[in-house]
Amino acid sequence: MSKQAKAATGGDHFTRWLVIGMVSLVVITGVVFSIMSSSSKATESFTALKDFTMGEAVTATINPAAGSGLTLNPGAPVTIDLWEDPQCPVCRIFETSIGAYIDTQVRTKNATVVYHVLSFLGPESVRAANAMMCAADEGHYLDFHQAIYTVQPALENSGFFSNENLIKIGDYIGLTSKTFTDCITQGSKLEIVKAHEDSMPTYKVSGTPTVFINGKLWERKASGFDLSEFRLAVEAG
Amino acid sequence: MIAFNQKYQKLSTLVARLVIGGVLLVAGGLKAFVPAEAASAVAAYKILPTQIAHIAGYALPWFEIAIGLLLIIGISVRMTSILAGAIMVLFIAAIGSVWARGILIDCGCFGGGGAIDPSKAAQVHRTYALEIARDLGLALLALYLYFFPYGLFSVEKIAITNEEM
Repeated sequence: MSKQAKAATGGDHFTRWLVIGMVSLVVITGVVFSIMSSSSKATESFTALKDFTMGEAVTATINPAAGSGLTLNPGAPVTIDLWEDPQCPVCRIFETSIGAYIDTQVRTKNATVVYHVLSFLGPESVRAANAMMCAADEGHYLDFHQAIYTVQPALENSGFFSNENLIKIGDYIGLTSKTFTDCITQGSKLEIVKAHEDSMPTYKVSGTPTVFINGKLWERKASGFDLSEFRLAVEAG
Repeated sequence: MIAFNQKYQKLSTLVARLVIGGVLLVAGGLKAFVPAEAASAVAAYKILPTQIAHIAGYALPWFEIAIGLLLIIGISVRMTSILAGAIMVLFIAAIGSVWARGILIDCGCFGGGGAIDPSKAAQVHRTYALEIARDLGLALLALYLYFFPYGLFSVEKIAITNEEM
């Protein structure tokens, strides 16, 4: 090996470490920046609940005959079955366009609404679904449901739907009872959550959101979720 | 061909550096400031467990930026070209894997990404082929840089020439 080649090898060692150092520095700074920006967004999302006022309490029952669906206002002429995952972004879009209408149908006793809260998007869906069932026990399923979609993070399973944050959501909207918080931390409703998930094949549901009106699958014609199209479908029964 | 390469090698090394570096810098830059989107795009490949995919999604754009900058400036080109070639191979493998598994996604190469409507299957498959071809081209350029790392306008000044290496 010539002297020159040896010198080059030595130099290579230095540049190698320089490159590794620079690359890692950029990557680490970048990752820290990215994580911080998405977690500050998460805190921001809570402030969206600041002026949240809960509606009147609505009794919710679990109907074992309908895949353990959470049933609100049973006995109305029209039945709407909703299949959703609390982390599903499209469900959030559905909630934004049509959620308020559905809430009104329940509160004015025009329709029976059965919620099937799925959790196939991961462990945070399971936790959120459990908390939603806990809110149902308090009579505030609709409110908590709305709040969940209001704060839903863009990222699935990012750590946002922790039990701590779910309790915080309840706190923001006014659900603070010990039964509610205990129900979340103890995962008291996990069996029901699993029953909802397990009933998917029976109803041939493979995605969310899926809507049945009087047992018939709602197939939208508009490219997005169109409120007037949905209302007509509900009114037609 | 060899004579041609000897004559213009320093220039073609510069061009190769600028092309790979430019593509990586743009691809990384477009993704780095929408971290949530980039993380979901990596998760959409369904190769890594969701949690790890999200971390990879945070890190990958910055990694691309770092490699891209080093190539453009021309620091330790041989070493950097190995890394650039390695990510290209990784991208090819990832796209090949979604293609083989019949998953329809937007690669998210330059931001965006995620699942695509099944009705667009043929179009998506054509896109996969183009993406693999593009990444293959870039990988070959990286290979060229591995053999001829010393070119024009690079920060590193090495006394010895390529022929001696």
